[in-house]
Amino acid sequence: MKRSAFACALGASLVLAALPAGADSDSITVFAAASLKEAFSAAGPAFTKATGTAVTFSFAGSDSLEQQIAQGAPADVFASANETQMRKAASAGLLGSEPKTFARNRLVIVVPKGNPAKIASAADLAKSGVKVVFAAATVPVGAYTRAGLKKLDGRPGYAADFDAAVEKNVVSNELDVKAVATKISLGEGDAGVVYQTDVAPLGASVETIAFPPDSVAEATYPIAVVKTAPDAKGAQAFVDFVLSPAGQAFLKARGFLSP
Amino acid sequence: MIRGAIAVASALLVAFIVLPLAGLVLHVEPRAYLAALSTVSARNALRLSLLTTTLALGLTIAFGTPLAYALARGRFPGRRVVDAIVDLPIVVPPAVAGLALLLVFGRNGTLAPVLRALGIQLSFTTAAVVMAQVFVASPFYVRAARGGFTTSDRTLEDASATLGMGPLRTFALVTVPLAAPALVGGIVLSWARALGEFGATIMFAGNLSGVSQTMPLAVYLDLEGGDVAGATALAVTLVAISLAVVIAVRAPARD
Repeated sequence: MKRSAFACALGASLVLAALPAGADSDSITVFAAASLKEAFSAAGPAFTKATGTAVTFSFAGSDSLEQQIAQGAPADVFASANETQMRKAASAGLLGSEPKTFARNRLVIVVPKGNPAKIASAADLAKSGVKVVFAAATVPVGAYTRAGLKKLDGRPGYAADFDAAVEKNVVSNELDVKAVATKISLGEGDAGVVYQTDVAPLGASVETIAFPPDSVAEATYPIAVVKTAPDAKGAQAFVDFVLSPAGQAFLKARGFLSP
Repeated sequence: MIRGAIAVASALLVAFIVLPLAGLVLHVEPRAYLAALSTVSARNALRLSLLTTTLALGLTIAFGTPLAYALARGRFPGRRVVDAIVDLPIVVPPAVAGLALLLVFGRNGTLAPVLRALGIQLSFTTAAVVMAQVFVASPFYVRAARGGFTTSDRTLEDASATLGMGPLRTFALVTVPLAAPALVGGIVLSWARALGEFGATIMFAGNLSGVSQTMPLAVYLDLEGGDVAGATALAVTLVAISLAVVIAVRAPARD
Protein backbone atom coordinates (compact mmCIF):
# COMPACT_ATOMS: atom_id res chain seq x y z
CA MET A 1 0.00 0.00 0.00
CA LYS A 2 2.68 2.35 1.08
CA ARG A 3 4.77 1.39 -1.91
CA SER A 4 1.99 1.96 -4.43
CA ALA A 5 1.27 5.35 -2.87
CA PHE A 6 4.92 6.22 -3.37
CA ALA A 7 4.77 5.02 -6.98
CA CYS A 8 1.64 7.07 -7.57
CA ALA A 9 3.22 10.17 -6.09
CA LEU A 10 6.36 9.67 -8.15
CA GLY A 11 4.32 9.14 -11.32
CA ALA A 12 2.13 12.15 -10.66
CA SER A 13 5.08 14.43 -9.97
CA LEU A 14 6.81 13.26 -13.15
CA VAL A 15 3.69 14.07 -15.17
CA LEU A 16 3.43 17.46 -13.47
CA ALA A 17 7.08 18.22 -14.11
CA ALA A 18 6.73 17.33 -17.79
CA LEU A 19 3.76 19.64 -18.36
CA PRO A 20 4.82 22.94 -19.90
CA ALA A 21 4.38 25.74 -17.39
CA GLY A 22 1.23 27.73 -18.07
CA ALA A 23 -0.16 25.23 -20.54
CA ASP A 24 -3.73 26.36 -19.95
CA SER A 25 -5.26 28.34 -22.80
CA ASP A 26 -5.32 31.74 -21.13
CA SER A 27 -1.64 32.03 -20.40
CA ILE A 28 1.36 33.03 -22.49
CA THR A 29 5.11 32.93 -21.98
CA VAL A 30 7.16 35.92 -23.10
CA PHE A 31 10.90 35.53 -23.67
CA ALA A 32 12.32 39.00 -23.14
CA ALA A 33 15.77 40.58 -23.00
CA ALA A 34 17.13 41.04 -19.47
CA SER A 35 16.98 44.83 -19.82
CA LEU A 36 13.18 44.67 -20.20
CA LYS A 37 12.69 43.09 -16.79
CA GLU A 38 11.33 46.08 -14.88
CA ALA A 39 9.20 47.51 -17.69
CA PHE A 40 7.62 44.20 -18.72
CA SER A 41 7.10 43.01 -15.16
CA ALA A 42 5.15 46.19 -14.51
CA ALA A 43 3.21 45.94 -17.78
CA GLY A 44 2.28 42.26 -17.25
CA PRO A 45 -0.57 42.77 -14.77
CA ALA A 46 -2.04 45.57 -16.92
CA PHE A 47 -1.99 43.28 -19.96
CA THR A 48 -3.70 40.51 -17.98
CA LYS A 49 -6.30 42.96 -16.73
CA ALA A 50 -7.02 44.22 -20.26
CA THR A 51 -7.12 40.85 -22.03
CA GLY A 52 -7.74 38.19 -19.37
CA THR A 53 -4.59 36.38 -20.51
CA ALA A 54 -2.03 35.59 -17.84
CA VAL A 55 1.59 36.22 -18.77
CA THR A 56 4.82 34.65 -17.54
CA PHE A 57 8.18 36.20 -18.37
CA SER A 58 11.52 34.56 -18.93
CA PHE A 59 14.25 37.20 -18.82
CA ALA A 60 17.77 36.48 -20.05
CA GLY A 61 20.35 37.68 -22.55
CA SER A 62 18.71 37.96 -25.99
CA ASP A 63 21.25 35.54 -27.42
CA SER A 64 20.40 32.79 -24.95
CA LEU A 65 16.70 33.38 -25.51
CA GLU A 66 17.16 33.03 -29.26
CA GLN A 67 19.09 29.79 -28.66
CA GLN A 68 16.38 28.47 -26.35
CA ILE A 69 13.64 29.22 -28.87
CA ALA A 70 15.72 27.55 -31.60
CA GLN A 71 15.91 24.49 -29.33
CA GLY A 72 12.12 24.41 -29.06
CA ALA A 73 11.47 26.25 -25.79
CA PRO A 74 7.70 26.92 -25.39
CA ALA A 75 7.81 30.68 -25.94
CA ASP A 76 4.87 32.66 -27.31
CA VAL A 77 6.60 36.00 -27.77
CA PHE A 78 10.24 36.98 -28.31
CA ALA A 79 11.34 40.50 -27.35
CA SER A 80 15.00 41.06 -28.21
CA ALA A 81 17.39 43.84 -27.22
CA ASN A 82 18.81 44.04 -30.72
CA GLU A 83 18.00 43.34 -34.33
CA THR A 84 20.79 40.80 -34.77
CA GLN A 85 19.16 38.17 -32.56
CA MET A 86 15.74 38.87 -34.06
CA ARG A 87 17.14 38.54 -37.60
CA LYS A 88 18.75 35.27 -36.57
CA ALA A 89 15.41 34.02 -35.29
CA ALA A 90 13.69 35.18 -38.47
CA SER A 91 16.16 33.52 -40.83
CA ALA A 92 15.89 30.29 -38.82
CA GLY A 93 12.13 30.36 -39.44
CA LEU A 94 11.32 30.75 -35.75
CA LEU A 95 8.97 33.74 -36.06
CA GLY A 96 5.22 33.77 -36.61
CA SER A 97 4.90 37.50 -37.23
CA GLU A 98 6.86 40.37 -38.73
CA PRO A 99 9.19 41.84 -36.03
CA LYS A 100 8.18 45.34 -34.91
CA THR A 101 10.39 47.85 -33.14
CA PHE A 102 8.74 48.78 -29.85
CA ALA A 103 11.43 50.68 -27.95
CA ARG A 104 14.90 52.16 -28.06
CA ASN A 105 17.47 52.40 -25.30
CA ARG A 106 20.60 54.42 -24.73
CA LEU A 107 23.90 53.14 -23.41
CA VAL A 108 25.59 54.83 -20.46
CA ILE A 109 28.77 54.33 -18.48
CA VAL A 110 28.14 53.38 -14.86
CA VAL A 111 30.66 53.70 -12.04
CA PRO A 112 30.26 52.69 -8.38
CA LYS A 113 29.17 55.36 -5.93
CA GLY A 114 32.10 57.70 -5.27
CA ASN A 115 33.68 56.85 -8.63
CA PRO A 116 36.82 55.17 -7.21
CA ALA A 117 38.74 55.22 -10.51
CA LYS A 118 37.81 58.89 -11.18
CA ILE A 119 36.21 58.28 -14.57
CA ALA A 120 35.23 61.65 -16.02
CA SER A 121 34.43 60.65 -19.59
CA ALA A 122 34.47 57.69 -21.96
CA ALA A 123 38.13 58.49 -22.68
CA ASP A 124 39.07 57.49 -19.12
CA LEU A 125 37.96 53.89 -19.76
CA ALA A 126 41.34 53.45 -21.47
CA LYS A 127 43.37 54.76 -18.48
CA SER A 128 45.68 52.02 -17.32
CA GLY A 129 44.54 50.13 -14.24
CA VAL A 130 40.83 50.86 -14.64
CA LYS A 131 38.83 47.69 -14.05
CA VAL A 132 36.22 47.62 -16.78
CA VAL A 133 33.27 45.20 -16.74
CA PHE A 134 31.42 44.67 -20.02
CA ALA A 135 28.82 42.23 -21.21
CA ALA A 136 30.29 39.54 -23.47
CA ALA A 137 30.50 40.52 -27.14
CA THR A 138 27.82 37.92 -27.95
CA VAL A 139 25.30 39.78 -25.78
CA PRO A 140 23.62 42.75 -27.55
CA VAL A 141 24.78 45.35 -25.03
CA GLY A 142 28.34 44.00 -25.30
CA ALA A 143 28.22 44.29 -29.09
CA TYR A 144 26.76 47.83 -28.99
CA THR A 145 29.41 48.86 -26.48
CA ARG A 146 32.30 47.66 -28.60
CA ALA A 147 30.89 49.10 -31.82
CA GLY A 148 30.50 52.45 -30.06
CA LEU A 149 34.04 52.48 -28.64
CA LYS A 150 35.40 51.75 -32.10
CA LYS A 151 33.64 54.84 -33.42
CA LEU A 152 35.58 56.95 -30.90
CA ASP A 153 38.98 55.75 -32.18
CA GLY A 154 41.07 58.70 -33.37
CA ARG A 155 38.61 61.41 -32.37
CA PRO A 156 40.04 64.42 -30.52
CA GLY A 157 40.98 63.25 -27.03
CA TYR A 158 40.90 59.57 -28.06
CA ALA A 159 43.84 57.49 -29.24
CA ALA A 160 43.69 55.73 -32.61
CA ASP A 161 43.58 52.38 -30.80
CA PHE A 162 41.25 53.60 -28.05
CA ASP A 163 38.90 50.63 -28.29
CA ALA A 164 41.79 48.15 -28.05
CA ALA A 165 43.13 49.96 -24.98
CA VAL A 166 39.72 49.73 -23.29
CA GLU A 167 39.44 46.06 -24.20
CA LYS A 168 42.75 45.49 -22.36
CA ASN A 169 41.15 46.92 -19.21
CA VAL A 170 38.22 44.51 -19.33
CA VAL A 171 38.35 42.25 -16.27
CA SER A 172 35.16 40.35 -17.01
CA ASN A 173 32.76 39.61 -19.87
CA GLU A 174 29.46 39.12 -18.10
CA LEU A 175 26.61 36.99 -19.41
CA ASP A 176 24.00 39.73 -19.48
CA VAL A 177 23.53 43.41 -18.81
CA LYS A 178 22.09 42.88 -15.32
CA ALA A 179 25.24 41.05 -14.28
CA VAL A 180 27.31 44.06 -15.38
CA ALA A 181 25.05 46.34 -13.36
CA THR A 182 25.38 44.10 -10.30
CA LYS A 183 29.18 43.96 -10.45
CA ILE A 184 29.40 47.74 -10.66
CA SER A 185 26.83 48.40 -7.96
CA LEU A 186 28.77 46.05 -5.66
CA GLY A 187 31.87 48.07 -6.46
CA GLU A 188 33.84 45.16 -7.89
CA GLY A 189 34.50 46.90 -11.18
CA ASP A 190 35.48 50.55 -11.73
CA ALA A 191 33.27 51.12 -14.75
CA GLY A 192 30.77 49.27 -16.90
CA VAL A 193 28.41 49.96 -19.74
CA VAL A 194 24.70 49.29 -19.31
CA TYR A 195 21.44 50.59 -20.75
CA GLN A 196 20.03 53.80 -19.35
CA THR A 197 17.05 51.75 -18.17
CA ASP A 198 19.24 49.54 -16.00
CA VAL A 199 20.40 52.47 -13.92
CA ALA A 200 17.20 53.36 -12.03
CA PRO A 201 16.87 49.99 -10.23
CA LEU A 202 20.44 50.40 -8.90
CA GLY A 203 19.45 53.49 -6.93
CA ALA A 204 22.25 55.44 -5.31
CA SER A 205 24.82 52.66 -5.61
CA VAL A 206 26.07 53.93 -8.97
CA GLU A 207 26.75 57.15 -10.86
CA THR A 208 26.38 57.52 -14.62
CA ILE A 209 28.52 59.16 -17.29
CA ALA A 210 27.17 59.80 -20.79
CA PHE A 211 28.92 58.72 -23.97
CA PRO A 212 29.90 61.48 -26.40
CA PRO A 213 27.12 62.22 -28.92
CA ASP A 214 27.02 59.99 -32.05
CA SER A 215 29.36 57.40 -30.67
CA VAL A 216 27.58 54.50 -29.05
CA ALA A 217 24.54 53.50 -31.05
CA GLU A 218 21.10 53.39 -29.56
CA ALA A 219 19.79 49.91 -28.96
CA THR A 220 16.69 48.95 -30.92
CA TYR A 221 14.19 46.49 -29.42
CA PRO A 222 12.12 44.36 -31.82
CA ILE A 223 9.26 42.08 -30.75
CA ALA A 224 7.54 39.21 -32.60
CA VAL A 225 5.25 36.25 -32.12
CA VAL A 226 7.10 32.92 -32.04
CA LYS A 227 6.06 30.56 -34.84
CA THR A 228 5.58 27.60 -32.52
CA ALA A 229 3.70 29.71 -29.96
CA PRO A 230 1.39 27.50 -27.88
CA ASP A 231 -1.05 30.44 -27.86
CA ALA A 232 -0.53 32.50 -31.02
CA LYS A 233 -3.60 34.65 -30.43
CA GLY A 234 -2.54 35.57 -26.90
CA ALA A 235 0.95 36.22 -28.21
CA GLN A 236 -0.30 38.65 -30.86
CA ALA A 237 -2.42 40.36 -28.20
CA PHE A 238 0.70 40.89 -26.09
CA VAL A 239 2.63 42.33 -29.07
CA ASP A 240 -0.28 44.68 -29.82
CA PHE A 241 -0.45 45.71 -26.18
CA VAL A 242 3.27 46.54 -26.04
CA LEU A 243 2.91 48.71 -29.16
CA SER A 244 -0.25 50.43 -27.85
CA PRO A 245 -0.11 53.71 -25.88
CA ALA A 246 -0.93 51.78 -22.68
CA GLY A 247 2.03 49.44 -23.15
CA GLN A 248 4.36 52.22 -24.31
CA ALA A 249 3.63 54.14 -21.09
CA PHE A 250 5.23 51.36 -19.04
CA LEU A 251 8.35 51.43 -21.20
CA LYS A 252 8.59 55.21 -21.05
CA ALA A 253 8.23 55.12 -17.26
CA ARG A 254 11.36 52.95 -17.09
CA GLY A 255 13.45 55.23 -19.26
CA PHE A 256 13.01 53.64 -22.69
CA LEU A 257 12.79 55.90 -25.72
CA SER A 258 9.78 55.47 -27.98
CA PRO A 259 10.38 53.59 -31.27
CA MET B 1 11.24 -10.85 -10.06
CA ILE B 2 13.22 -8.59 -7.74
CA ARG B 3 16.33 -9.22 -9.78
CA GLY B 4 14.52 -8.25 -12.96
CA ALA B 5 13.27 -5.03 -11.38
CA ILE B 6 16.78 -4.18 -10.25
CA ALA B 7 18.12 -4.80 -13.75
CA VAL B 8 15.44 -2.65 -15.41
CA ALA B 9 15.82 0.23 -12.97
CA SER B 10 19.62 0.17 -13.26
CA ALA B 11 19.56 -0.04 -17.03
CA LEU B 12 17.14 2.87 -17.30
CA LEU B 13 19.25 5.18 -15.12
CA VAL B 14 22.49 4.22 -16.86
CA ALA B 15 20.85 4.83 -20.24
CA PHE B 16 19.54 8.17 -19.02
CA ILE B 17 23.05 9.22 -18.06
CA VAL B 18 24.82 7.76 -21.08
CA LEU B 19 22.45 8.87 -23.85
CA PRO B 20 22.89 12.66 -23.51
CA LEU B 21 26.67 12.28 -23.21
CA ALA B 22 26.73 9.97 -26.22
CA GLY B 23 24.61 12.49 -28.11
CA LEU B 24 27.22 15.13 -27.30
CA VAL B 25 30.01 12.95 -28.68
CA LEU B 26 28.04 12.00 -31.80
CA HIS B 27 27.35 15.67 -32.47
CA VAL B 28 31.04 16.35 -33.03
CA GLU B 29 32.73 16.18 -36.42
CA PRO B 30 36.43 15.33 -36.10
CA ARG B 31 37.66 18.21 -38.24
CA ALA B 32 35.44 20.80 -36.58
CA TYR B 33 36.49 19.35 -33.24
CA LEU B 34 40.18 19.92 -33.84
CA ALA B 35 39.56 23.39 -35.27
CA ALA B 36 37.45 24.37 -32.27
CA LEU B 37 40.07 23.12 -29.82
CA SER B 38 42.92 24.97 -31.50
CA THR B 39 41.49 28.43 -30.82
CA VAL B 40 43.29 30.55 -28.26
CA SER B 41 40.25 30.85 -26.01
CA ALA B 42 39.68 27.08 -26.02
CA ARG B 43 43.29 26.38 -25.10
CA ASN B 44 43.21 29.09 -22.45
CA ALA B 45 40.08 27.54 -20.96
CA LEU B 46 41.57 24.06 -20.96
CA ARG B 47 44.81 25.21 -19.33
CA LEU B 48 42.99 27.33 -16.78
CA SER B 49 40.61 24.53 -15.82
CA LEU B 50 43.46 22.08 -15.28
CA LEU B 51 45.51 24.62 -13.32
CA THR B 52 42.72 25.83 -11.06
CA THR B 53 41.23 22.42 -10.31
CA THR B 54 44.71 21.11 -9.41
CA LEU B 55 45.28 24.02 -7.04
CA ALA B 56 41.80 23.67 -5.57
CA LEU B 57 42.34 19.97 -5.02
CA GLY B 58 45.71 20.58 -3.33
CA LEU B 59 44.16 23.11 -0.95
CA THR B 60 41.21 20.84 -0.28
CA ILE B 61 43.46 17.92 0.65
CA ALA B 62 45.83 20.07 2.73
CA PHE B 63 43.06 21.63 4.81
CA GLY B 64 40.32 19.05 4.42
CA THR B 65 42.28 16.04 5.69
CA PRO B 66 42.94 17.48 9.19
CA LEU B 67 39.35 18.71 9.35
CA ALA B 68 37.94 15.33 8.34
CA TYR B 69 40.19 13.65 10.91
CA ALA B 70 39.05 16.01 13.64
CA LEU B 71 35.41 15.45 12.73
CA ALA B 72 35.83 11.68 12.69
CA ARG B 73 37.95 11.25 15.81
CA GLY B 74 37.83 14.47 17.76
CA ARG B 75 35.52 15.03 20.70
CA PHE B 76 35.10 18.76 20.91
CA PRO B 77 32.13 20.98 21.66
CA GLY B 78 30.13 21.94 18.56
CA ARG B 79 31.45 19.05 16.51
CA ARG B 80 28.00 18.27 15.15
CA VAL B 81 27.47 21.89 14.19
CA VAL B 82 30.81 22.05 12.37
CA ASP B 83 29.95 18.76 10.73
CA ALA B 84 26.71 20.21 9.36
CA ILE B 85 28.30 23.50 8.31
CA VAL B 86 30.97 21.71 6.29
CA ASP B 87 28.24 20.10 4.19
CA LEU B 88 26.42 23.39 3.55
CA PRO B 89 28.12 24.35 0.27
CA ILE B 90 26.69 21.17 -1.28
CA VAL B 91 23.12 22.42 -0.87
CA VAL B 92 23.72 26.13 -1.44
CA PRO B 93 23.07 27.08 -5.09
CA PRO B 94 26.43 27.90 -6.73
CA ALA B 95 25.36 31.40 -7.73
CA VAL B 96 24.52 32.08 -4.09
CA ALA B 97 27.92 30.74 -3.10
CA GLY B 98 29.52 33.15 -5.56
CA LEU B 99 27.54 36.07 -4.21
CA ALA B 100 28.49 35.10 -0.65
CA LEU B 101 32.18 35.01 -1.60
CA LEU B 102 31.82 38.39 -3.27
CA LEU B 103 30.17 39.91 -0.20
CA VAL B 104 33.02 38.74 2.03
CA PHE B 105 36.12 38.80 -0.20
CA GLY B 106 34.97 41.39 -2.76
CA ARG B 107 36.34 44.90 -3.08
CA ASN B 108 33.63 46.25 -0.78
CA GLY B 109 33.16 43.03 1.16
CA THR B 110 33.44 42.37 4.86
CA LEU B 111 37.17 41.65 4.66
CA ALA B 112 37.85 44.50 2.23
CA PRO B 113 39.82 46.67 4.73
CA VAL B 114 42.19 43.79 5.51
CA LEU B 115 42.61 42.79 1.88
CA ARG B 116 43.15 46.39 0.81
CA ALA B 117 45.83 46.86 3.47
CA LEU B 118 47.57 43.81 2.05
CA GLY B 119 47.16 45.12 -1.49
CA ILE B 120 45.10 42.13 -2.55
CA GLN B 121 42.15 42.20 -4.92
CA LEU B 122 40.52 38.82 -5.34
CA SER B 123 37.46 39.32 -7.54
CA PHE B 124 38.11 38.85 -11.27
CA THR B 125 41.32 36.88 -10.63
CA THR B 126 42.42 33.30 -11.09
CA ALA B 127 42.70 33.07 -7.30
CA ALA B 128 38.97 33.78 -7.13
CA VAL B 129 38.32 30.85 -9.48
CA VAL B 130 40.27 28.56 -7.14
CA MET B 131 38.43 29.93 -4.09
CA ALA B 132 35.05 29.33 -5.71
CA GLN B 133 36.09 25.77 -6.55
CA VAL B 134 37.36 25.03 -3.04
CA PHE B 135 34.16 26.45 -1.57
CA VAL B 136 31.80 24.29 -3.60
CA ALA B 137 33.96 21.18 -3.99
CA SER B 138 35.84 20.66 -0.72
CA PRO B 139 32.80 19.28 1.18
CA PHE B 140 32.76 16.27 -1.12
CA TYR B 141 36.29 15.38 -0.04
CA VAL B 142 35.75 16.15 3.65
CA ARG B 143 32.61 14.02 3.78
CA ALA B 144 34.30 11.05 2.17
CA ALA B 145 37.48 11.38 4.23
CA ARG B 146 35.48 11.73 7.45
CA GLY B 147 33.70 8.49 6.58
CA GLY B 148 36.99 6.76 5.88
CA PHE B 149 38.55 7.86 9.17
CA THR B 150 35.44 6.88 11.12
CA THR B 151 35.22 3.33 9.82
CA SER B 152 38.89 2.35 9.57
CA ASP B 153 40.15 -0.18 12.13
CA ARG B 154 41.60 1.64 15.10
CA THR B 155 43.27 -1.38 16.71
CA LEU B 156 45.91 -1.19 13.98
CA GLU B 157 46.68 2.40 14.95
CA ASP B 158 46.93 1.39 18.58
CA ALA B 159 49.31 -1.39 17.60
CA SER B 160 51.40 1.06 15.66
CA ALA B 161 51.58 3.37 18.68
CA THR B 162 52.48 0.46 20.95
CA LEU B 163 55.32 -0.42 18.62
CA GLY B 164 56.74 3.03 19.16
CA MET B 165 55.64 4.99 16.09
CA GLY B 166 54.84 8.64 16.67
CA PRO B 167 51.37 10.01 15.95
CA LEU B 168 52.40 11.62 12.66
CA ARG B 169 54.04 8.46 11.34
CA THR B 170 51.08 6.40 12.51
CA PHE B 171 48.77 8.77 10.67
CA ALA B 172 50.79 8.69 7.46
CA LEU B 173 51.67 4.98 7.46
CA VAL B 174 48.59 3.41 9.04
CA THR B 175 45.57 5.70 9.16
CA VAL B 176 45.82 7.14 5.65
CA PRO B 177 46.41 3.79 3.90
CA LEU B 178 43.45 2.32 5.81
CA ALA B 179 41.20 5.16 4.72
CA ALA B 180 42.69 5.31 1.21
CA PRO B 181 39.67 4.04 -0.74
CA ALA B 182 37.45 6.67 0.87
CA LEU B 183 40.07 9.39 0.40
CA VAL B 184 40.51 8.55 -3.27
CA GLY B 185 36.75 8.51 -3.81
CA GLY B 186 36.50 11.92 -2.16
CA ILE B 187 39.37 13.29 -4.22
CA VAL B 188 37.71 12.22 -7.47
CA LEU B 189 34.29 13.61 -6.52
CA SER B 190 35.71 16.87 -5.26
CA TRP B 191 37.94 17.38 -8.28
CA ALA B 192 35.11 16.59 -10.68
CA ARG B 193 32.82 19.04 -8.93
CA ALA B 194 35.50 21.73 -9.19
CA LEU B 195 36.01 20.99 -12.89
CA GLY B 196 32.31 21.51 -13.60
CA GLU B 197 32.00 24.62 -11.42
CA PHE B 198 30.11 27.43 -13.16
CA GLY B 199 27.78 29.57 -11.05
CA ALA B 200 30.08 30.58 -8.22
CA THR B 201 32.93 31.17 -10.65
CA ILE B 202 31.07 33.58 -12.95
CA MET B 203 29.69 35.44 -9.93
CA PHE B 204 32.93 35.81 -7.98
CA ALA B 205 35.70 35.52 -10.58
CA GLY B 206 33.88 36.87 -13.63
CA ASN B 207 34.59 35.68 -17.13
CA LEU B 208 37.82 36.58 -18.92
CA SER B 209 39.77 34.32 -21.24
CA GLY B 210 43.07 33.25 -19.68
CA VAL B 211 42.18 34.61 -16.24
CA SER B 212 38.82 33.30 -15.11
CA GLN B 213 37.17 31.67 -18.13
CA THR B 214 37.25 27.98 -17.23
CA MET B 215 35.94 25.28 -19.57
CA PRO B 216 32.33 25.33 -18.36
CA LEU B 217 32.24 29.11 -18.86
CA ALA B 218 33.79 28.83 -22.32
CA VAL B 219 31.24 26.18 -23.28
CA TYR B 220 28.40 28.44 -22.16
CA LEU B 221 29.80 31.48 -23.94
CA ASP B 222 30.31 29.53 -27.18
CA LEU B 223 26.73 28.33 -26.99
CA GLU B 224 25.48 31.86 -26.33
CA GLY B 225 27.36 33.11 -29.36
CA GLY B 226 25.75 30.42 -31.51
CA ASP B 227 29.02 28.47 -31.86
CA VAL B 228 27.53 25.03 -31.22
CA ALA B 229 30.53 23.27 -32.80
CA GLY B 230 32.93 25.06 -30.46
CA ALA B 231 30.74 24.42 -27.45
CA THR B 232 30.34 20.70 -28.12
CA ALA B 233 34.06 20.28 -28.86
CA LEU B 234 34.96 21.80 -25.48
CA ALA B 235 32.17 19.89 -23.74
CA VAL B 236 33.31 16.56 -25.16
CA THR B 237 36.88 17.32 -24.07
CA LEU B 238 35.65 18.14 -20.58
CA VAL B 239 33.72 14.86 -20.39
CA ALA B 240 36.67 12.88 -21.77
CA ILE B 241 39.11 14.36 -19.25
CA SER B 242 36.74 13.66 -16.36
CA LEU B 243 36.15 10.11 -17.51
CA ALA B 244 39.87 9.42 -17.96
CA VAL B 245 40.70 10.74 -14.50
CA VAL B 246 37.86 8.90 -12.79
CA ILE B 247 38.86 5.61 -14.41
CA ALA B 248 42.59 6.07 -13.86
CA VAL B 249 42.25 6.99 -10.21
CA ARG B 250 39.67 4.36 -9.34
CA ALA B 251 41.19 1.45 -11.25
CA PRO B 252 43.81 0.43 -8.66
CA ALA B 253 41.42 0.96 -5.77
CA ARG B 254 38.78 -1.35 -7.28
CA ASP B 255 38.42 -5.10 -7.16
